[in-house]
Amino acid sequence: MLFNSFEFLFFFIIVTSLFFAIPHRFRWILLLLASCFFYMFFKPVYILILAFTIAIDYTAGLLIEGQKTAKLKRIYLLGSLVANIGVLVIFKYYNFLNDNLTEIASLIGFKNNLPYLDILLPIGLSFHTFQAMSYTFEVYHGRQIAEKHFGIYALYVMFYPQLVAGPIERPQNIIPQLHKRQYFSFDNTVIGLNLIALGLFKKIVVADRLAVYINQVYKDIENANTISTMLAVCFFSIQIYCDFSGYSDIARGTAKVMGYDLMINFNKPYLSQSIAEFWTRWHISLSSWFRDYVYIPLGGNRVEKWKWIRNLSLVFLLSGLWHGARWTFIIWGMLHAFYLIVEIITKNIRINLPSLGTFSRPINQTAVFLAISFAWIFFRAETFIKAKLVIAKLLSMDFSLNISQISAEKGPFNLLLSFFCIILWFFIKLPKYKESLSRNLIFLIGITFLIITLGKGESAEFIYFQF
Amino acid sequence: MNQQNLSISNFNRFIKQLLLPYAAACILLGLLINYQFENRIVLGSQISGSYKVNRIINELHSSEIAFFGSSRAEGTFIPDSLVKEGFNYGMSGIQDDVVLFFLDEECRKSSKSTPIVINFDLDGLNYSLGDVSSYIYNSNYKPVRQLMDSSYKTIYNFPLLKYYGVFELYFKFYLTDKFNLTKFVSKGASIEKNELTANKFEALVKERLASTNFFNNDPLLSAKLITIIKSNTNRKFIFVIPPYHNSFFKGFVNANEASIFLNSLKKLNNVVVLDFSKAHFVDIDFLNTSHLNLRGAIKFNRILNDSLKNYCQ
Repeated sequence: MLFNSFEFLFFFIIVTSLFFAIPHRFRWILLLLASCFFYMFFKPVYILILAFTIAIDYTAGLLIEGQKTAKLKRIYLLGSLVANIGVLVIFKYYNFLNDNLTEIASLIGFKNNLPYLDILLPIGLSFHTFQAMSYTFEVYHGRQIAEKHFGIYALYVMFYPQLVAGPIERPQNIIPQLHKRQYFSFDNTVIGLNLIALGLFKKIVVADRLAVYINQVYKDIENANTISTMLAVCFFSIQIYCDFSGYSDIARGTAKVMGYDLMINFNKPYLSQSIAEFWTRWHISLSSWFRDYVYIPLGGNRVEKWKWIRNLSLVFLLSGLWHGARWTFIIWGMLHAFYLIVEIITKNIRINLPSLGTFSRPINQTAVFLAISFAWIFFRAETFIKAKLVIAKLLSMDFSLNISQISAEKGPFNLLLSFFCIILWFFIKLPKYKESLSRNLIFLIGITFLIITLGKGESAEFIYFQF
Repeated sequence: MNQQNLSISNFNRFIKQLLLPYAAACILLGLLINYQFENRIVLGSQISGSYKVNRIINELHSSEIAFFGSSRAEGTFIPDSLVKEGFNYGMSGIQDDVVLFFLDEECRKSSKSTPIVINFDLDGLNYSLGDVSSYIYNSNYKPVRQLMDSSYKTIYNFPLLKYYGVFELYFKFYLTDKFNLTKFVSKGASIEKNELTANKFEALVKERLASTNFFNNDPLLSAKLITIIKSNTNRKFIFVIPPYHNSFFKGFVNANEASIFLNSLKKLNNVVVLDFSKAHFVDIDFLNTSHLNLRGAIKFNRILNDSLKNYCQ
């Protein structure tokens, strides 16, 4: 079920009303059933994959906690990891690995006879698998006691607001909240509804509007010029931010109305002054996952410089792969690793450079935005060849002011609307609850009308669903 | 106060201070915006489909000669250069199911006896609703709802919400009409001003030459057309086939079937067929291989004017 659909509107109203109408002891059942329904709305059979990982990790958690020796704990942790990663490999990476194996085999004169699996990628697989893995890691490290209540554990993995596109939660944050009795709160409801409204605005008004222009330029890149390609590349940075942070806002808002606090996933990432800072502000739940469970265990930055570079490269290689089984995602990840390595290597040189005073901040922010936008080309392009074409267009220096080229297939009106929506997004700020009730009310009404009048009609999927 | 009571008072506060004011404001503001939007924008442009649908249903112009058809009609017939009082009801993206709806509505106006000009496309009588936004304003009118068929949605009953996702289309028509930047507009006609470069047109010709064109008449639609013509003997039905680029005919596999159908129409007493499909027009007169541009349309209207004189005085 898509957050930006009428079905979800009814689902949300019904589930939230029932949640507060029934006694606390039955609420986990309601939320679990609602989450199953929410997930099965996409493709029912994939609920079995979730059931499999939930059963494995629930059992692994109990077994890890019950062992006296570190060796046995490690065995059970490994067992759980193998099961989780196995699911990811089969459903997400198998065909990619198979294709590459075929290529390599043909290069050395062999034939790869492994069959091709005709399966659809279960929605949000990487999100709920990583959330399940974080539970076993935390239990293994003794930072989280194993959850005895199977229903609560299942709900931790399946809680519908963050089931298919995060935030990838940690058990310490969610499980205690699921146990706690929640009461209807006016404050939570206002904050939650504001978040939902803002998220819907970001998705329906900004991201989906920009998608029209971006899709046209990428589809017909041969006929684009440098100006239209630059616009499409920069627009995509905004689209993906509004799409994904919009989802996170709706997820947080939906949970907040019921009294649950989900972690903040985005913190104005495009205001970062360095790539390192960007990764503390973008998809925080995933970057902190890699930091805690991959980067730090490898030694983080408290090792020799080359190992530090190795650790960063490995983390970003995995981060690229996490997004999808495609070489373009791997290049995207490695490009970010490269940026970070350059930042590390040039740190001393940059410190000694003369200060640009008040201009240094916007210059840094612009440079970071452009570098990130460039990397997004590989994220957006379906193939490496397409990414190369986009870059070639950027470098072609064709700045001809051809209106039909610049405005792409849908014409100047759509381009103007795209700019208008970006300006709106720039100025619309979430009201602070304590400001005044009327300000919150005006915000909700205003956003409602902006969505109705400027929203793209079709319920487009969120980009991160595919991961 | 215990938590349970606090929860109840919080809920009451939510209803009184947030939900009710929000709902009231949304309803009032929604109705106000809807009223203004419909009157100024939806019906504010003579070239929009919604205006044309509304005009044919709700307005009676006794001496008006109506021009019906698809985008070929919309982008070809300039009423002011053809007749004393006329209006171009052509809509892009539509096919003959919609043309027949227009014809039906026109023929309901029993006090009228003016001739009706219909653009005829050589691909025969087919179905296409075109853009659904043309019908939303009148979606509660039974024949429109029937025409919309599965495209009809319950949301079309709710003011303002019914335009969700299509607002920009109305604004686009409105702006095109008011500012005439890329199109020439007049009495419902909307004709592209831009002329294609030789290279681009050549590419279109190549594309056309590589494709095959069929005359494919839907029997239900052709039967309905004949019925309308036969039951309105007081009206003259003038079928006009505007020019096609000669590349169109290269891949036209069953031209004889089109001729047979047109000949069967000609046999009806109140039908006139004016075939300009092969009239000599040069590349720069065309927007693409089946549509004229403004230059071509002006040229064609001069020719058509001479022929129409005999029937539309």
